[in-house]
Amino acid sequence: MSDEMAAAGELEPRVAQRTAQLARANEDLQREIASRKRAEEDLRSSEERHRVIVEAASDAIVAMDDSGIILFANPATTSLFGYDSAEMVGKPLTMLMPEPMRELHDDGFRRYLATGIRHINWHGTELTAISRDGQEFPVEVSFGELSADGHRLFTGFIRDIRQRKQAEQLEAAAQLQGAVHADVTLAFGLEGSLETILHECAESMVRRLDAAFARIWILNWDAQLLELRASAGLYTHLDGAHARIPMGTLKIGAIAKEKTPVLCNDLLNDPRISDKAWAEKEGMAGFAGYPLLIGARTLGVLAMFSRKPITTQTIEVLASIADLIAQGIERKRAEDELRATERRLKEMETELARVVRVTSMGELAASIAHEVNQPLTAVVNNGNACLRLLANRKLEPDTLRLALEEIVADGTRATSILSKIRALITKQAAEKTSLDVNEVIQEVLALAGREIQAHEVLLNHQLEARLPLVLGDRIQLQQVVLNLIMNGIEAMTTLADRPRSILVKSQLIPSNWIQVAVCDSGTGFSCEPEHLFSPFYTTKEHGMGMGLSISRSLIESHGGRLQAVPLSPHGAEFSFTLPVAPEAGL
Amino acid sequence: MTAAPVVFVIDDDASVRSSLKLLIGTIGLRVETFAAPDDFLRKQPLDSPSCLILDVRLPRLNGLDFQRELAMRKIRVPIIFITGYGDIPMSVRAMKDGAVEFLTKPFRDQDLLDAVHAAIERDRARREQEQEVKGIQDRFENLSSREREVTYLVVEGLLNKQIADQLGTAENTVKVHRSRAMTKMQANSVADLVKMVQKLKDTPK
Repeated sequence: MSDEMAAAGELEPRVAQRTAQLARANEDLQREIASRKRAEEDLRSSEERHRVIVEAASDAIVAMDDSGIILFANPATTSLFGYDSAEMVGKPLTMLMPEPMRELHDDGFRRYLATGIRHINWHGTELTAISRDGQEFPVEVSFGELSADGHRLFTGFIRDIRQRKQAEQLEAAAQLQGAVHADVTLAFGLEGSLETILHECAESMVRRLDAAFARIWILNWDAQLLELRASAGLYTHLDGAHARIPMGTLKIGAIAKEKTPVLCNDLLNDPRISDKAWAEKEGMAGFAGYPLLIGARTLGVLAMFSRKPITTQTIEVLASIADLIAQGIERKRAEDELRATERRLKEMETELARVVRVTSMGELAASIAHEVNQPLTAVVNNGNACLRLLANRKLEPDTLRLALEEIVADGTRATSILSKIRALITKQAAEKTSLDVNEVIQEVLALAGREIQAHEVLLNHQLEARLPLVLGDRIQLQQVVLNLIMNGIEAMTTLADRPRSILVKSQLIPSNWIQVAVCDSGTGFSCEPEHLFSPFYTTKEHGMGMGLSISRSLIESHGGRLQAVPLSPHGAEFSFTLPVAPEAGL
Repeated sequence: MTAAPVVFVIDDDASVRSSLKLLIGTIGLRVETFAAPDDFLRKQPLDSPSCLILDVRLPRLNGLDFQRELAMRKIRVPIIFITGYGDIPMSVRAMKDGAVEFLTKPFRDQDLLDAVHAAIERDRARREQEQEVKGIQDRFENLSSREREVTYLVVEGLLNKQIADQLGTAENTVKVHRSRAMTKMQANSVADLVKMVQKLKDTPK
């Protein structure tokens, strides 16, 4: 019993010890469980967080295994590509790529698995994706890799960059358009000829729009021909087959006639492209042609060929520079015309100065009178002297001989002066062309405008429209009209009690005569009208009395008549007639 | 006064000059011709009665302007203008400035010769008048101051007695002065003396 007792006595501490051990173990276990639970909870909450992130992400997130099979796709993938998650899981990732890229991807992926060499940048590469409905769109793709349980897992992040791309494209287009606009504007600022300017524009198209060559034709309205005025790039010659294209023929002529652009990125199959062999040989891919229009008026055609398809962006730029170039051409033409008009006006003013000099005959007529009168005076004096001496029986033979010699010499001198004047007059009667009398009048009015204004004269005209032409010397008829107007102005310089006015009329009168009349409100004349036309008759202080006399001979040399009529109550009308040109009268 | 009259001609045309010389020579007048006004000016002054036949249109100088220049230089030669052409205002100006005649070439010989006669007569008369005034002036300057005083008062129509009262002297003394003045002035009568003094007064000094 004592052993039992002893044994019992021994057992108790051991049990206690064991119990304590168990309790400790249990506590450890409890701690372990708690810790595990905590870890599990941590893990769960972390997974939860990731799940939320992945599901809420706006980028598509796709997980795949090392055979490229999709294990997971987030909702953004569905909304981006249009496939349900179930349609994607278990399928290859390449289903999200357009056909040509799939093999490339597979090859690259295999190489990576084998060698670790990446065929693309894993952090943000721009690729093209394809959605369920077959639409391709630009994406930016990043990849991540992790290994678990001996498996390699890959995660792809796919971002839709359509908007970004579009914005970029818009900006690039704006920049490009700006650059081309600047080139064109700068070109039109050049002092050079239209050819130089247009060549700069064509150069800019080649440089900035990637044109293989660019050309500009300008419409010659009268001939209805499009004339090649600029060519840059592959071809720079301005002659050859396309130098002059009739309106409506070939595609250039069609563009000009229809006033609509032609665009084509499939040259080899387009019926409008006439020389397909050439396009193929030169590797041309695209053509764009724009009419140069001001309103509904065609000024020319702008066209380019490109070895690459012509982008929307380029087309937009072309459309806008076609406008810009058309406006530039129009402005340049207006400027050139203005300059030409100014030059013509200047020439006319010079001509006027000459006309005034000759017509008013001031110095010239005085010269003629003086020159002719000198020998005549000498002849008369010598003759009279001899007669006197003869009457007084004092005429010595020597005196007589001297006087007679002088008479002969002076007679000869007078004759030669007259023939010089005749030569001068016949030389002037050179050029007779078909003329519109109204045009002649308008030219004179333009020339005399300053004089008319300076004398505060009111000018009116009644010019009959569409007068038949006359055959005449423009300068001479201008001289006559100008002479009549200047006479009218001078006849009114002293007027104070009534308006100074000049009326110029033109009309067709029976039978086939054109009558031009200049009426003034001046002092008129009291003498016989015919007297006005005698040489050296004048009522003016500084007049020579030659203007009307010369004017009459000029009109008579044109087969017409110049006459004067006093007007009631005051003023005078000078009018002349001219026969209608024979062919115009038919 | 005794010198023979001269006709001057200024015309740039040699034929006109020589024909005028012949024509005017037929009435027995001496003719001197010049191609330019400057040549004529070098001839001045001249003592004999003369006239100038002047072409309006001269190289470098208008005849009408030369007429004014002569007036400024106090060369009082009568001028006959001849011109290849002439208008009314031009001739009016010439005549206003004292021209004798304004003839348009070619002119009637009689018209010219008449004008030449008239011009020379005018010049002769002017010269005589100038001569006469000069004589009166010379004689007047020979008078004593008392004789001049008496002469002025006589011309005013005062009697000897009144003159004596005014000068505060005796009537006889006045008579002596008066008679001496008359003699020195070569006046035949009081009326004669009055005329002379009047001429003196009319002539600007």
